[in-house]
Amino acid sequence: MEAGQMIRGADAVIKAIAAHGVTTVFGYPGGAIMPIYDALYGSPVEHLLSRHEQGAAFAAVGYARASGQTGVCFATSGPGATNLVTSLADALLDSVPVVAITGQVSTAVIGTDAFQEVDVLGMSLSCTKHSFMVTHVDELVPTLYKAFEIAASGRPGPVLVDIPKDVQIAMLEYKTPLQAVTQEPEHTPEQINDARELISQAKQPMLYVGGGVGMASAVDQLRDFIKVTGIPSVATLKGLGSITIDTPGYLGMLGMHGSKAANLAVQECDLLIVVGARFDDRVTGRLASFAENAKVIHLDIDAAELGKLRLPEVAIAGDLRQILPALTQNLGEQFAPWQAKVAQMKQEFQWRYDRPGELIYAPAMLNRLAHKLPQDSVVACDVGQHQMWVAQHMFFNRPEDHLSSAGLGTMGFGLPAAIGAKVARPDACVVVVSGDGSFMMNVQELTTIKRKRLPVKILLVDNQKLGMVKQWQQLFFEERYSETDLSDNPDFVKMASAFDIPGRNIYKACDVEAGLDEMLNSQGPFLLHVSIDDAHNVWPLVPPGASNQDMMEEMDKQT
Amino acid sequence: MNNYSLALNVQQRPEVLERVLRVVRHRGFKVANLSMQLNSNNSTSIDMLVHSEREIGLLTNQINKLIDVIDCRVLLSSPTAELVQQKG
Repeated sequence: MEAGQMIRGADAVIKAIAAHGVTTVFGYPGGAIMPIYDALYGSPVEHLLSRHEQGAAFAAVGYARASGQTGVCFATSGPGATNLVTSLADALLDSVPVVAITGQVSTAVIGTDAFQEVDVLGMSLSCTKHSFMVTHVDELVPTLYKAFEIAASGRPGPVLVDIPKDVQIAMLEYKTPLQAVTQEPEHTPEQINDARELISQAKQPMLYVGGGVGMASAVDQLRDFIKVTGIPSVATLKGLGSITIDTPGYLGMLGMHGSKAANLAVQECDLLIVVGARFDDRVTGRLASFAENAKVIHLDIDAAELGKLRLPEVAIAGDLRQILPALTQNLGEQFAPWQAKVAQMKQEFQWRYDRPGELIYAPAMLNRLAHKLPQDSVVACDVGQHQMWVAQHMFFNRPEDHLSSAGLGTMGFGLPAAIGAKVARPDACVVVVSGDGSFMMNVQELTTIKRKRLPVKILLVDNQKLGMVKQWQQLFFEERYSETDLSDNPDFVKMASAFDIPGRNIYKACDVEAGLDEMLNSQGPFLLHVSIDDAHNVWPLVPPGASNQDMMEEMDKQT
Repeated sequence: MNNYSLALNVQQRPEVLERVLRVVRHRGFKVANLSMQLNSNNSTSIDMLVHSEREIGLLTNQINKLIDVIDCRVLLSSPTAELVQQKG
């Protein structure tokens, strides 16, 4: 473009997005965002049409989580923008970098209750890291640059930019703004010394690894730290994949549905090293008795998390890629007795898959799936019992290979997130593991798969129940099964075929191998519908308000 | 119940007060008194008296995270005076 050349605001939006390396955006057009869609037409930025704005924003989340790049979604004013709220809240709670661009009615009619007008800025206050309304075309490009910078820096998160229609058609001279220099918190040598000292004094230290490790791209530093120190470890739902399952002393997930070994070992530790995690209630159980006798070292990019729920002995806000190497030290055989004890717990409480009977046992099936997946794979989960079974019984090479709605626990997340992941990593094998309840929440996105012939594999785990709620009704509500029966589900394979997606049903344990192979070996998208025993629940389970060592164990019964 | 007097310096944006008040409410604090003044340097001063059973650090840490907040100080607090927070 020549200096002084004027372009429309809408064209500047696309140009600014492309300047940030974004090659695909997800969205749904409408009246107030038409100029931006017009600018998109024929531009180098690709667009994937979702069939609901929630699906578009979840696809942007999946794109971001699978690739580490910022995801972008578009929606129109009013209902388009309100439909983004759930996905943005999901991105906020899981710290996912997303930029959402919404059309708004023209500035002249804002505040008059115009057609499809909603106070999107007001609405966004509680579901985004930050949000903007651009009221003048001169602010447009600097605001977009700031939005990308805020979304990806520090603790990442969703940012919304609301752009009135008149700003989209106003002319401007495009100038690349100066990049803001983000000031990240810096650790001090004293903090590092204090933390090193605590580690060297510990006898039974434990690493509690959260999603922050993946978000900070600090997986390699974490793995080095574990290798050199030999400190045993557990992970949160979002931390899964940060540590490989064959790592000595790694006990898998902790918390409400964590492994018995993970929860017991954490309760016994004398030093808890919290890395990119935040003491979520699903992790800690009863907070007052969580790792009760442990001192705490808390490492996080977000200073507001330090001391929020548990006062640490040492708190360090900053970049894990620098902090972890600074804390790495070889303490020889100091932890050998503890390592041996942890190894024994791991052995004693390992998962068992040798279940008798003809019916399909989902944990065993998911464990088989994990063994069959190629190295470069992404598993996008929905929310419910199947999600916890995936977390317990599958394993991941990297955190970006496991997409799960952790903080918000949003049903309907899996299918659109998988679509975003497939766009971000076209060479990866992308599998959605969904449940019959969750799948229906964004089932319209099957059209998105059809449209682009995206080879996304769908493993639908069906117990004809809203399983997790049913489990709680069974355990804590005197078996009063209020509205959790989903036995009037549609014929899912027939439904998939309406979207030109082939599929098949399996009902028996002996059909699992062939079913998984058919799904994974199929060329395009595929739906494997798996009917499981509706008596199976997720075990162990730490009841609400209980301490993590007081897990309830297997007590499945037919409902 | 603890009372805290907060002094905030924030960017002049139409929604900034709303942003701050949302966090105050959501984090479990109640505004007892509030005054706001636009400054000539494009900033705005907000003085607030809030009360809550909760520690003020929970609130000031979250307010400091807001992009539009330049700094947030606790001027007076009862009974814990050592929890003064300042944005660097």
